[in-house]
Amino acid sequence: MNHLLRDYPVQAFYDELIAPDGAPRPAARPLLDHLAGLPVGELAARRRAVDAAIMTTGITFTVYCDAGNIDRAWPFDIVPRILAKHEWMQVEAGLKQRLLAINLFIDDLYNAQRIVRDGVFPLEVLSGSQNFRPACQGFSPPFGVWAHICGTDLVRDRDGKLYVLEDNLRVPSGVSYMLQNRQLMKRLFPELFQSSEILPVDDYPARLYATLAALSPRPGVRPVIAVLTPGIFNSAYFEHSYLAQQMGAFLVEGGDLVVQDDDCVYMKTIAGLRRVDVIYRRIDDDFLDPEIFRPDSLLGVPGLMRAWRAGKVGIANAPGSGVADDKVVYAFVPQIIRYYLGESPILPNVPSWLCMYDDQRDYVLSHLDQLVVKPANESGGYGMLIGPRASELERARFAALIRANPRNYMAQPTLALSTAPTLVNDDHLEPRHVDLRPFVLQADSLYATTGGLTRVALQAGSLIVNSSQGGGAKDTWVVDTGE
Amino acid sequence: MLSRVAENLYWMARYLERADNTARFINSVTQMLLDLPRGASFGWDVLLKVAGLDELYAQYHDDERESDIIRFLIQDERNPSSILASIQCARENTRTFREVVPMELWERINGLYLYVRDQAEHATQGRSQRYALLDGVIEHQQAITGLLMGSMSQDLAYQFIKLGRNLERADMTTRILDVNSAVRLPAEASAAQFARERLWVTTLNALSAYLMYRRHVGMDVAGASVLRYLLCDKHFPRSVAHCLGEIEDCLAQLVDYQEPLRLARALWRRLETIDCAVYADTERLHHDMDRIQAELGALHAAISQRYFYRYQPTVVAHTTQDQS
Repeated sequence: MNHLLRDYPVQAFYDELIAPDGAPRPAARPLLDHLAGLPVGELAARRRAVDAAIMTTGITFTVYCDAGNIDRAWPFDIVPRILAKHEWMQVEAGLKQRLLAINLFIDDLYNAQRIVRDGVFPLEVLSGSQNFRPACQGFSPPFGVWAHICGTDLVRDRDGKLYVLEDNLRVPSGVSYMLQNRQLMKRLFPELFQSSEILPVDDYPARLYATLAALSPRPGVRPVIAVLTPGIFNSAYFEHSYLAQQMGAFLVEGGDLVVQDDDCVYMKTIAGLRRVDVIYRRIDDDFLDPEIFRPDSLLGVPGLMRAWRAGKVGIANAPGSGVADDKVVYAFVPQIIRYYLGESPILPNVPSWLCMYDDQRDYVLSHLDQLVVKPANESGGYGMLIGPRASELERARFAALIRANPRNYMAQPTLALSTAPTLVNDDHLEPRHVDLRPFVLQADSLYATTGGLTRVALQAGSLIVNSSQGGGAKDTWVVDTGE
Repeated sequence: MLSRVAENLYWMARYLERADNTARFINSVTQMLLDLPRGASFGWDVLLKVAGLDELYAQYHDDERESDIIRFLIQDERNPSSILASIQCARENTRTFREVVPMELWERINGLYLYVRDQAEHATQGRSQRYALLDGVIEHQQAITGLLMGSMSQDLAYQFIKLGRNLERADMTTRILDVNSAVRLPAEASAAQFARERLWVTTLNALSAYLMYRRHVGMDVAGASVLRYLLCDKHFPRSVAHCLGEIEDCLAQLVDYQEPLRLARALWRRLETIDCAVYADTERLHHDMDRIQAELGALHAAISQRYFYRYQPTVVAHTTQDQS
């Protein structure tokens, strides 16, 4: 018997690595056997080595409220989460299907709005959308694609099925951690990578580069690509810097760019102005162009929208793509897939109740103690209510918020998030809840990462996996078991 | 190369060099005190004047005690040129250009920062701990310079690091030389002669120049030859002339370098015509060091104007990053 797994509780939740009978799932067996076979103390020593590697390579993320020390070491668990390849192939097809349909949807919304006229997508949802940008109407970017980089959150419920929790289409983060996690694991357990069929993940920067390059208005010329960051105080600054480094792109801030009278975007270099072809923006729409959006913003570039609409610069994700990154719009994605592609959705949504509809709102208000309530446009786990864990007072406060602005809220059942074995006290494994964020790219073609970023709630029993809320990460292995 | 990135690289190098030189500066003065003969005197306030920090210090302190001055120079964050503040600025700058420098640079600078942050408190409590801390700062900084020389492509980014380092270094060398002008020598002639000689040995030591001086100049440590060596020697890396030569090399690899290059050459030519013998008169020494510092300031302004602010719609004065 595997000593690391003594007292490992099974059956309460679906476990990613351990079957209900307490034995490792087939794809996880080589790993767990290997871990159990390590000499006493070896696991602890390797964990310390990985912590040291994280400190030295400076893998950090920024926490806004941590005064004085703006970056924190990345909390990493050394036990990977494992998916069998045959399952992953299905998920990957589902992710691609989803992004394809979402992009057709966004393009339609800013143009003919067929889906609204055909009565499939309600006008009242569109008119209440905070992220619909009238400035984008009547425009269609190259390939009709708006959301070029999508981070979709998947969770596995008690029934063992993977559900889509949300689609992040504005400035999804985390892919650099996925890449770093794999690097760390290769340093930590090189022997495992020799003996198992773990599919590689490190082609992402090259695929991202190709996706961005496809948006260049000057095909045939090696494009100048820039990653636009709000700066070092942004929580994902490490990622912005890392991706720029990996792609050989320029990391720029708004003040480094200027739009000239020819509607081209230039960056200010020591040798003068140099034209920029593609911008991978990591700044929200609101701050992108003070001429169009928030005039008080210093982060963006005046005239950027003008340059983009004139076709002089490619922007990923396109301004306005956030219209589909709305938790109310999310509820309609299965219909969107059927409408544009004529296919059934491969990946299911989590059942959702929209507070803007009277009957659904009544249900939500009378079941607050069982539901998770989310605002339509927040990210990073802010502004949510987890009903079963909330106090009477909090629930009452949320009920008032919902009544005051029903369009802004939706609710979902509290899922029994799956767990994965996580190293505790250096000597045994305990289950901790996980989710999964794969990244999908689309320009002239579609690509999905192999697996994705697995986030883990490091506190026993906690369901909160966001790094800004104290969660950590695991490497994600897609393993070819030959099935 | 983005102007902002070039500017941040340049300042990172200046801050690191400033921390290193401030450490050298304090060490040399401490050393000098131990060697001063009876009858000679030295006020700690001189350190502040030479560093150009006397007015800032006076805003926070009424008297000029050694411990207060040392704390102000080492760890006081109200002093933007203190060792801790300089290293912190270097560290913050480094975050903004990780994509253009070797991966280990961040780690090294972070290590230096943590070292000073954790040790500074002890170091301001006694002269021997102080020496250990300052020596550690110098050692860390040398490791960083070595890392950059050994593993960074000598591309444009490297040129801006080198520019910043050499400009700051030239400035700090003149400041360390200037300390000599501040010592009041004993009245008796032979004692004064001895004391003066000790002072110049201390200056050489502060710049790690003593052995090189003996090898290339001679055993006799006299003011005029030490000055000539530290101002004009073409081969010693901390001499003002050598730093200017490095700056010229960097500029030659950039575009539109005419104006900064003209200023660097003019200063270089002036150094060559200097008659170091006149510096027996220490008033004159102080005056001339001030003048070189002002010309280095003008060179800095020309570099900023040419490469950092060129395409900015408005020119922002960087007073917070500047020393004086």
